[in-house]
Amino acid sequence: MTEVSNTEGGPRNALAVPAVRTPMTPLRRAFLRNAPGYMFLMPWLLGFFLLTLGPALASLYLSFTRYDLLTPPVWTGLNNYDYAFNSDRRLGNAMRVTFTYVLWSVPLKLAVALGLAIILDKSVRGVSFYRATFYLPSLLGASVAIAVLWRQIFGVDGLVNTLLLLTTGWQGPSWVTHPKYSLITLIVLAIWQFGSPMIIFLAGLRQVPQDLYEAASMDGAGAWRQFYKITLPMLAPVVFFNLVFQTIEAFKAFTQAYIVSGGQGGPIDSTLFYSLYLYNEAFANLRMGYASALAWILLVIIGFFTAIAFASSKYWVHYEDEGR
Amino acid sequence: MSKGMNRRQFGAIMGGATALSLFGSLGARAQDEALRLIWWGNPDRDRRTNEVVALFTEQMGRNVIPETYGWGDYWQKLATQAAGGSLPDLIQMDYRFIFEYARRGQLAALDPFIGQQLELDDFDANQLASGAVDGSIYGISMGANSHSHIYKKEVLAAAGGTMPDHTTWTDEDFMALGMQIKDQLPSGMYFTQNMGYVEPRLESFVRQRGKGLYTEEGAVGFELQDLKDFFGYWKMMQDEGLTPPADVQALDATGRMEEGMIVSGKSLFGFIHSNQLVANQNLVTEELEMVMVPGQQGGVPGQYLKPSMLMSMAQSSTKKEAAAELMNFFITNHDANDILQIERGVTGDASVAARLLEKLTATEKKIVDYLAVVADHVSPLPPPPPQNAGEVDRAMRPAWDVIAFGGVSVDEGATRYYDEINSILSRI
Repeated sequence: MTEVSNTEGGPRNALAVPAVRTPMTPLRRAFLRNAPGYMFLMPWLLGFFLLTLGPALASLYLSFTRYDLLTPPVWTGLNNYDYAFNSDRRLGNAMRVTFTYVLWSVPLKLAVALGLAIILDKSVRGVSFYRATFYLPSLLGASVAIAVLWRQIFGVDGLVNTLLLLTTGWQGPSWVTHPKYSLITLIVLAIWQFGSPMIIFLAGLRQVPQDLYEAASMDGAGAWRQFYKITLPMLAPVVFFNLVFQTIEAFKAFTQAYIVSGGQGGPIDSTLFYSLYLYNEAFANLRMGYASALAWILLVIIGFFTAIAFASSKYWVHYEDEGR
Repeated sequence: MSKGMNRRQFGAIMGGATALSLFGSLGARAQDEALRLIWWGNPDRDRRTNEVVALFTEQMGRNVIPETYGWGDYWQKLATQAAGGSLPDLIQMDYRFIFEYARRGQLAALDPFIGQQLELDDFDANQLASGAVDGSIYGISMGANSHSHIYKKEVLAAAGGTMPDHTTWTDEDFMALGMQIKDQLPSGMYFTQNMGYVEPRLESFVRQRGKGLYTEEGAVGFELQDLKDFFGYWKMMQDEGLTPPADVQALDATGRMEEGMIVSGKSLFGFIHSNQLVANQNLVTEELEMVMVPGQQGGVPGQYLKPSMLMSMAQSSTKKEAAAELMNFFITNHDANDILQIERGVTGDASVAARLLEKLTATEKKIVDYLAVVADHVSPLPPPPPQNAGEVDRAMRPAWDVIAFGGVSVDEGATRYYDEINSILSRI
């Protein structure tokens, strides 16, 4: 029987190579098979390396320099980090404001999202209209337009105060520019955007087998007990995902703070979010090196909390395909 | 037997995609010939500048791409562009920042163009000198202005108040006037905006005491006691109900004219730079009058005539001669100045100023008359502010707000801000 080979007259295909050059090892064959895949990935890979990883590493370098954008960077070693940890009073304010925002807005947002997901998890007529309407704010919420509106609504002559005046006759303060209340308006804005975690919770609720509920109610468990013992544990992976995702987003919040506070972090730094402080240090005070250091500190903080979430997930998140 | 796409098809697709992406750069080519101009402004100034730009294109045949931002965003934008080497050809500059940018090599020296593209024979020598840094001219003054107070004429009259002689009135007279009429003001309107965080007002205040914001060497030019007196006065004004409460006053922190206390109807008196009268009047229905800043008992004149803004050229510009022509158009061309008038200040070009005087609206005449009066009551231009002066200015608002919201006493707040100024100035 004639042997089929790659050389002299054998059948040709796109992957044929002259045998004298390089042998068709399994590695080479795998590479050639995957080459088109990498070519298709190339745009994304280029974007990742050139637009994400590259600038991130550049900012790591810059965090050890003094750089004011108009003259070349000057190496200063750990000066920026030293200033951040030991001398920067406003950074303390920014951390306090950001942590308060995260610790209040994320749990409340998830609680509202879960509550509404359970209520809307029925096949009542018109329920899809309600789902769409509740989802709408989270589509628009992070936009500049909504933030501008929010500032108006909570201003001294805004909608909220007008309604209060009409119903109770009480003239409210300017919520948005009062140091005690300004952060609350931003937390409310965050909670108002519960739509996207709600949709994810709805999807998760669909996965919970109905026979568990039937069995439970036959054993005499009330609605609250069913929620606590069945729904929550079964939803744990979804809760975990939403928790991590929303926490990271909350730490990075910028647009709302910038617009609602007018760009300076609200009266007396009461809305000085970390990213807003970073932005002002970089572009208003032209301290790019220090801002880069702040950015990496934020990365470490977010990474730390994400790591805690993952480590603790072993104890309360159970996936279907595990034992236990 | 091919597994999906073969090399030829793949190559064809990649080639097509690359060719398509080239079309994107074609648009960019056409813009190479156009000049770029950037300025900060307000709706009125933007309209006028855009008209002048259109006129320039019509008369001189060269495209100009305009860019404008509010004051709050302008310097960030400029810094980013400077870092990227993509500063526009013509830049509207401020007296405070021109030294920083010029000394860092970002601006082109204009001396080679003076007498050539820049026809400045008629230009006032003092105003021209105000754009000089280390011996060369880096910016041409677009107009002179000075600090001022504005108020709503009819509202004051309806409340039963009369304006004392504004060339000699003092802080005490100001407060007395307020106390007299504060209960007769329309609901929701207060006597004056609070000026405890307005750095130019502080500047007038300390200059009236013979000092200044900064010394020639770039250190703080006034004492802690001056700051305590200043904050103390405005805290008292707030406590007496003559200024809006702290949270309402904080609404103008964005720096936008539309959110200021005068325009939103919350105060009778306001603080502006004289050239802003036109823009303010366009946003307000009541007629505005302009008067000098109140002085102090036993004080010296605190105001000065300063360049409201300067026109500069980027060192990185590749079309410097054309840019100089555009700059000249703005400063000396009669048709252009008929549009710009004195919204940016009273121009230093004598022939333009003379021609404009006949065409001024009533509001603009007020500015010219005001500057004529002020010119008799001024002291010399202060030295250029040091680096980080912008940060000191920005830090004044939160420093004042802590006092205004009752977080700290006036003494404590003043001490904190004074220390902060020193630490900002010493920080490189």
